[in-house]
Amino acid sequence: MSDDTDLHHPVDLAALADSARADPALFESRSVEPVFARRVLATPLHMNVAAESRTNLWTDWNGYTVAEVLSDIEDEYRVLRHAAALADISPLFKYRISGREAAAFLARFAAGDISALRVDGTLPVVFCEDRGFVVGDGLLFRLGDDEYRLVTEEPHLAWLLDSAIGFAVQVEDVSSTLAAISLQGPLSARILSAANFAGVETLAPHAARWFDVAAQPVYVSRTALSGDAGYELWVDPEDASHIWSLLLAHGAPFGLAATGFALREIARVEAGRARAGRDYFGAFSAVEPESASTPFELGLAGLVDLDRGHFTGRNALRAAKSAPLRHTFSMLAIDWPEPLSFIGIHAGADMAGVATSTAFSWSLGKNLALAMLKPEFLDKPRKLHIEAEMRHGFEVRRVIVPARLVSGPAPMGPKP
Amino acid sequence: MSLPEKNFDVIVIGGGHNGLVAAAYLAKAGRRVLLLEASDRLGGALATEDITPDYRISTGAQMIDMLPRRIEKDLKLAGHGLRYAARYVPTIALNPTNGHLVLSRRRRDIEVLRKKSARDADAYLAFSKRMKSYAALIAPFLDKAPFAPGQSAARSALRRLVWRGALLDAASREALLRDLPGSIGHMLDDAFETPILKGALAFDTLVGTAAGPYDAGTVLRGIYRKAQRLAGAGAWVPQGGLGAFVDALAAAAAGLGVTIEVSAPVARILVQGEAVVGVETAAGETFHAPQVLSSIHPRATLLDLLGANRLDAGLVARLSRIPTRGATAKLNLALSGLPTIQGLAPAEYGARLIVAPSLDDIQEAHAQAKRGTFASNPVMEVTFPSVADPTLAPVGHHVMSIAIQYVPYEAEGGWDDKRDRLIDRAVETLSIYAPDLKQRIVAGELLLPADLERKFGLAGGDWHQGELRPDRLLSFRPTPELAQYGTPVAGLFLCGAGSHPGGGVTGMAGRLAAEAALARRARA
Ligand SMILES: Cc1cc2nc3c(=O)[nH]c(=O)nc-3n(C[C@H](O)[C@H](O)[C@H](O)COP(=O)(O)OP(=O)(O)OC[C@H]3O[C@@H](n4cnc5c(N)ncnc54)[C@H](O)[C@@H]3O)c2cc1C
Repeated sequence: MSDDTDLHHPVDLAALADSARADPALFESRSVEPVFARRVLATPLHMNVAAESRTNLWTDWNGYTVAEVLSDIEDEYRVLRHAAALADISPLFKYRISGREAAAFLARFAAGDISALRVDGTLPVVFCEDRGFVVGDGLLFRLGDDEYRLVTEEPHLAWLLDSAIGFAVQVEDVSSTLAAISLQGPLSARILSAANFAGVETLAPHAARWFDVAAQPVYVSRTALSGDAGYELWVDPEDASHIWSLLLAHGAPFGLAATGFALREIARVEAGRARAGRDYFGAFSAVEPESASTPFELGLAGLVDLDRGHFTGRNALRAAKSAPLRHTFSMLAIDWPEPLSFIGIHAGADMAGVATSTAFSWSLGKNLALAMLKPEFLDKPRKLHIEAEMRHGFEVRRVIVPARLVSGPAPMGPKP
Repeated sequence: MSLPEKNFDVIVIGGGHNGLVAAAYLAKAGRRVLLLEASDRLGGALATEDITPDYRISTGAQMIDMLPRRIEKDLKLAGHGLRYAARYVPTIALNPTNGHLVLSRRRRDIEVLRKKSARDADAYLAFSKRMKSYAALIAPFLDKAPFAPGQSAARSALRRLVWRGALLDAASREALLRDLPGSIGHMLDDAFETPILKGALAFDTLVGTAAGPYDAGTVLRGIYRKAQRLAGAGAWVPQGGLGAFVDALAAAAAGLGVTIEVSAPVARILVQGEAVVGVETAAGETFHAPQVLSSIHPRATLLDLLGANRLDAGLVARLSRIPTRGATAKLNLALSGLPTIQGLAPAEYGARLIVAPSLDDIQEAHAQAKRGTFASNPVMEVTFPSVADPTLAPVGHHVMSIAIQYVPYEAEGGWDDKRDRLIDRAVETLSIYAPDLKQRIVAGELLLPADLERKFGLAGGDWHQGELRPDRLLSFRPTPELAQYGTPVAGLFLCGAGSHPGGGVTGMAGRLAAEAALARRARA
């Protein structure tokens, strides 16, 4: 991320206070989903995580109860950047794809070229429907010659099954039969070594393999959905608790701590990674075509290969490639020394877009936003700003702060 | 088979009537065409075959009532031997008690109805007029390729439709809006009181579908069928049965230079890059052409012959969900003489006879089929083709065609022990009208939907290669992206009943697909 010098805070807070008024919306609690659509599930690691909670702050992730923050978000952030952060990521959706035509099925399913994916390798994928709109994205694992696993943020079983018509392939939802633990941070490898994951230091980035730990098989991948240096462990639910305890015990001397969902979100925003359902609507959740996105509009062109064989959405994407983008997924930095809350991205009097995820990065001392912007504000860079409301007692103040486009996601932590 | 020539301009898959029509039009436009038919005879569901030696019958379709005269003329079918044994075959609703009803607007027939119900006699004229005016709104859409949604032509067509609709008087307009989404059963209940009249009119709407009389959307189906019939010239029966019609069509196609091969099932459609380059037969022979038209079920064409991996998953899912389950069985009987139908005038034995005494009987049969069985009094359409065409049976003997409506594709507990019971039920029910039928039966053949599938290569035994539901007509047939006959694979077209305007002996899918292919070629 380039350093910016011409940024300044043009607003005098004291002057703003005069114009401030209380916004009742600030005091409302909002529920995103209707009650009937909610599920209350516990992950196999729920008791272990609960034992680490000093806050009793929980949140909902895909219907699972997960910790929002376990101790203090700033402490957790420091652990992630300087030691290693342990987290329960079992609520991710996991699909087992197997059978004689599994590779052919995935070649038609994903927009990218998966032919280079070897056994024990991983590959980020995006998949589209017929109109070229993104249905979802995820990480594809190859577990065997004819066996793959797709890990996604949102459920996709129906689309996977529709896509399987005409292929000798079996698709199973293994989400609840597979627990997942993430271990992220600069000391992750050393902690795994200490916990007897023999030879983990030889595991290359994006690779995965089986380890036998305390007579339990654990599949470890050197991956992170947040894009940072770290590992993800895929274990049987009945073994999960033991592995978790093992890591906590061996990690303590290194400063390891259990962390919650809020930290995962901050790391994700720092990495500039869109989350399905949060930063973009999957094609089947978007009510209007305008709310759906092509991979190009999500900045995922790198996951699309139009020149290999057929895949779902290819014809539409060929046309979309030369068509103007309707919106673009971008990352913005907002120089303000404390967390801000805002949604709109403005350019003068115009709305330039909407911030879909925001986070305060303690490493950078800045606010970051992932935003869906109208493309005309990218082509001819205009000065963007955000308007945030800050609460002081029963008053709110409005601050207007310049927002700066960040050209590409830059990993915040040490390079993998 | 081993043809010396392997390279053509166009290959047509399937020698049903639509495939033959498509091939003939393409050849007429100067294309070198190869037609490959899987079975050892052409015609698909149009066939004249022996029930038993010396008794011949149209084993599948019976009548031609939707074939545009233009196709007959363009292809000079009369010059290739097509003769008609009967024209303007009337439809008669058989009454189990007394007084059969001829469904027509002739004064004499209306007076017969008036004796039963004065109200219905008046209502019948009004009803016919109403259906005809609705049909006239749809008719202009049947003789051209459906519009792609969003196309400007689609918008102007819609505007024209609204404009024509606006020409209706206020009462008709209101009636149209009320009737269109509804069920034929409710519409008839509102209009009439005579059970056999309602039964026959409902049967006419529903024959060849799996829909029930009180299913929403069946009014539209009735209007659609009526509109298709406006293109034809009344119900005609070819001399020598429907097989003779196919012979004329095949002769016309051959005369125009089409190379026709039977017993040559296509196993694969060959693609290079993103364009079609030919086909491979089950015997492993390959033929090359830059265009391929397939008259078989869209699903079979695209999933079995082409392969799902060349198509988008959404399209594949939509194709795999095309409802394709026929609910009509065919019973063909050889008779030692004409049975006596009480109250039927001698001249009326050549008519199309409908055995559906009431809406309740139809509803019951439909309900039974849904349960995987059949009604004890099935509803049926009966003809004696040998009355108008004595060549079909020995002198004094006859053949009888019976279409039994609402026979499930799969029976609860399997069909094996039920075939004979279904025949019994059909014959018993018919014996109410013709008590001497049983003693005249020489031989017979029952074709269940699954038999029709096997015999004619008709997927699911469905007459239409995919049900003619309102949501599967026009620009939605067989799926929105395939409605203009083309497919995502350049050079590959659909030309069978699965495409607009649907099943029945119309030849229209074949003709319109040929036009689409010719237009594409001309541009290329
Ligand atoms: C019992 C019955 C009664 C009917 N009565 C009437 C009626 O009275 N009036 C009316 O208008 N309609 C009637 N119909 C409907 C009408 O017969 C059909 O809608 C019409 O025949 C469909 O024609 P088609 O050419 O589109 O398809 P089809 O006739 O199904 O032709 C498809 C052809 O493709 C061939 N084929 C299949 N697979 C392959 C392959 N892989 N390679 C090469 N060839 C292949 C098949 O053998 C067949 O010949 C009736 C149908 C049935 C079953």
